[in-house]
Order: sequence, then structure tokens, then C-alpha cells
Amino acid sequence: MSEPLLAARGVSVRFGGLVAVDGVDLDVRAGELVGIIGPNGAGKTTFFHTLSGVLAPTAGRVLVGGDDLTGKPPHAYAAHGVARTFQTPRVFKEMPAIDNVRFGLEFAGRTRQHAHDAFDEAETILEFLGLADVAAVPAGGLTPSRQRLLEIGMALGARPRVLLLDEVAAGLTHAEVDASAQLIRRVRDELGLAVVWIEHAVRVLMNYVERVAVLHQGRKIADGDPRAVAKDPAVVEAYLGEEGEPERRAA
Amino acid sequence: MNSRHALLALLAGGLALAALPWLLSDFLLALALSCVMYAGLAVSWSMFCGPTNYLSLATAAFFGLGTYVTAWGAGALPYGLSVLAGGLVAAGFAALIGAAVLHLRGAYFAVITFGMGELVRHGITYYEKAFEGTVGRIIAEAPESTTVYWMVLLVSMGAVAAAVLVRDHRLGLALRGIGSDEERAQTLGVNARRSKIAAFALSAFFAGALGAAMAVRWTYIDPLTVFNPFIGFQTVLIAMVGGAQTILGPIASAVVFGLLTEFLRLQFPYLFLVILGFLLILLVLYLPGGIASLFERWRWRRGNV
Repeated sequence: MSEPLLAARGVSVRFGGLVAVDGVDLDVRAGELVGIIGPNGAGKTTFFHTLSGVLAPTAGRVLVGGDDLTGKPPHAYAAHGVARTFQTPRVFKEMPAIDNVRFGLEFAGRTRQHAHDAFDEAETILEFLGLADVAAVPAGGLTPSRQRLLEIGMALGARPRVLLLDEVAAGLTHAEVDASAQLIRRVRDELGLAVVWIEHAVRVLMNYVERVAVLHQGRKIADGDPRAVAKDPAVVEAYLGEEGEPERRAA
Repeated sequence: MNSRHALLALLAGGLALAALPWLLSDFLLALALSCVMYAGLAVSWSMFCGPTNYLSLATAAFFGLGTYVTAWGAGALPYGLSVLAGGLVAAGFAALIGAAVLHLRGAYFAVITFGMGELVRHGITYYEKAFEGTVGRIIAEAPESTTVYWMVLLVSMGAVAAAVLVRDHRLGLALRGIGSDEERAQTLGVNARRSKIAAFALSAFFAGALGAAMAVRWTYIDPLTVFNPFIGFQTVLIAMVGGAQTILGPIASAVVFGLLTEFLRLQFPYLFLVILGFLLILLVLYLPGGIASLFERWRWRRGNV
């Protein structure tokens, strides 16, 4: 098997006495689409923060393309091809949508080329996301669901090798969720990215990813084929014990 | 307006202003000098603080360092070199301090930059007392007032040119991203620390150079005069009233302030500060986007008619 593009080795994060992430290992290879699910407070977003350099892990290491980036600032991760979205869209509100996408192209994406240059233009990325008509609109004026899409566009502008998506489907309608999921698969297929996708809506994620990892109280309790993981007693227990079985949560 | 047009407009404006010494009386030239100096200070302040939303009160420290470089070098260094050295010393100091405090934000940054000015002032006072036996120094040979005017004009034009180039290039984009959401900008590849230090030092260069150029206007230099916090406050005020997100706003504001202050001082010698304060309150209340927002409104109206 090929070298993992993104590797977390025993990553832990402690806030004072609270252990938010507890010794998590995760390997993601190029072209893989991996989902991460878990009940509220399972440590999903905190784990993502360590994968993008926003937060340094208290213990453990994060490797991107074989390079140890543990403790490096976020721009070092970006330069290595890690791009992410945030759960609450963090677009540059005053800038036009197109400049939000251009931002990544000017910095992290400046030195790196995709296999085929489909996403070298901010205009192409906006078109791909169906945002071409609002290119000149300040990002703060877009609807929340369009800001979510723009977040993906900003990450794509950074010409990533690894795309980290934090609950891009939250607050979207069923149709919108389906459209974003299709989009994410298309991006993965066209650019050969490694995609890690956190989602609270379990059913959505299960339908679109080939592999899913489950976090519970900071620990990884399952990792594998979505159908097998859904039947895993530990996973069922985690969801039942905390907030009901997975299917009901998704509804 | 792209960089080239802006720089051409600047060059034309600068050439026109360079002719003022032949047209104006000594009194009016001194007034023009003050306007040009504050325009340069306000533009250099906005260059960093406008896009990043930082509030720096360090202008007085940079300005004062510049004047002291001229005072120390007087006699040894030609005027032009003093100005350059003053700018470089201020930029170096800003880079050093910036590396230590630019992770702070909001009120903390404002207070600590104000403290920097006080630190430098007391540091120099101590040094002079301990090692020179006297506080303050006299600048014996001063260039002519027209030379000073041209030098200040040149430095201020340099500040405007730098502001245009920063705005239109990657550094400006990085600074706007940092101002909007620093962490987001970092996750998209911006080395925030380096960008902030570079812009802070560049902005300090012009404040220092202006201090060095203005030093020769005072024959007697002492820390209390040249590290006057009023210079820093005035700069911030002018930039904010003008609209720190723009370049034209602070320039227009510096001219309005300069003329208004002088007019009020002559017409209402006892009431002028009261009137000035009142006008400021009105401006902040009814024109929060600064003078620059007037241009915007005008452009918008013209576009819609």
C-alpha cells in the first residue's frame, strides 16, 4: 500500500483536566474519502484542529506527505497541501466571493499545481460550486448555505492534497446536502484528493464515504467499511448511550 | 484604479506640491509642511493598521527615534542620509518590538505600543543623563525651510507609493485576510507573523523618516518634545477620520485637519479646541466610515443618475 498522505499518530489533546482527544491514530491515502462521525463532544472538531495546525496536540504526531508537522503553525500545513473548512463558515466577509477563493490561490496554492490544472482559476472554482453569479458579492452577504459552499471553494483555492471538511452539510436541506455530497465526491475523483469529512448527520456520511471512523469520548472506537461500522456493538452503544441510535439522529 | 494610475496621479500631485515654496508665503508654507507631514504619518499608519484592524499608538516612538537619529548624526551625516537612517532605525525597532507583541490584539496591543513610546523616551532621557550629562541637544546647522519641505514631501510621497503597492500586492491581501480572520488566513497559507512584522516595520520606516526630516525644524531637541504622544494620537485621529481602509481618506483628512486647526486657532483662539472637539464628535457620529465614505457616496450617486 502507498504511503499515507495524512497520518495522525497517537494524537491527544488535553484542556486542563479534560481529555478531548485521546490517542487517535488515523491514516488517509490519496484518493480516499474518509468520514468521521461521533456524538456531540466526541472530539471531532478538536481532532480536525490538530490535523490543520490550528491546535498543537498535547501528545502524538501529525505527518503530512511523510513530513512531521507537529507543532508547526497552520500556514505550514497549508503549504504542505492541507486545506480545511470550518463548521461555522469563516469566509472573509468584506471581500467579494471571488477574492475569498483567490486568497488560497495567492498563498498556499501558489507553488503547487494539480495533476491537471482544472482549478487554477478562481472563476472555475466558483463555477464548479455554482457560485459564479455571486462572484462580486461580498461573502458576508451570501446565504449561510452559500457561505458553506464558498468555504469549500476557499479550501480548493489552496490547491490541496488533503481536504478536511468540518460539517459542511449542517443546516442544509436534504437536496442541498445531497448536492454537496455529490460535489465532494466529484472533487475527490477529479483531483485525486484525500478527503476527510466530519459529519453529524450520520446517514448522509454513510452513503457517500468508503470508510468511516467513529470517535467517542475522544477515542477512536471503530474504523472501516460503513456497513460493518454501523453494526459494531461499540458504535451502537456509543450512540444509544449518548443520544439515540444513528438512524434516528440522522433523520 | 490600478497601481499604475494611482502612482501616476501621485507623481503629478507631488510635482504640483513641490512648486508650493515659490507660491506661498513662509506662514502658508509652514502650514503646508504640517499638512504634508501628517498626510505621510496617517497614510503610513493606515498602511498597517487599516487592513489589519490593529490600533498602534507607536507612531510617536518611531517619529521620535527618527528625530534623535538626525540629532545624533547632525554634522556627521548629510541631511538626506539622516532621513534614511532615521527610517531604518525606526523600522528595525518596529521589527524587533513587533516580533514580541504583534500576537496581541485590541486594547492590549494599543496599550503596549503606547508603552513602547514611553519606554524609548525614558530610555533616551536616562542615557543622556547618565552618559552625556545633559538632556536634549541642539541642532546648529539646519537646512533651509524649503529643503525641509521638499524632503518631507518626498518621504510622504514615498509613504503613499508604498501604501498603493502594498494594497495592490500579496502583502495587502494577506493583511486584509489577517484583519478579517487571522486564523482562516493562516489555514490558507499566510505566514501571519511574517506579514505583520514586515508591514509594521514598513509603516514605521516612514514615521521614522518623517521624524528625521522634521528634526531640523526644532533647533533644540529633547525627549519630551519629540516623543510627544500628541503626534501619535493626532495621526490615529486623522487616519480614522479619513477612513483607514483607504489611502485618499487619510490624505484628505490631514489637509482638512491642518487647515481647520489653523483657521480655528486664528479665528477663535480661546474656543478652538472646544470647536475642534465638537466637530470630531459630529464626524464620528455621522460619518463613521470616515471622509473616504463621502467619495464612495458621491461615486455611488453619480453611478446611479
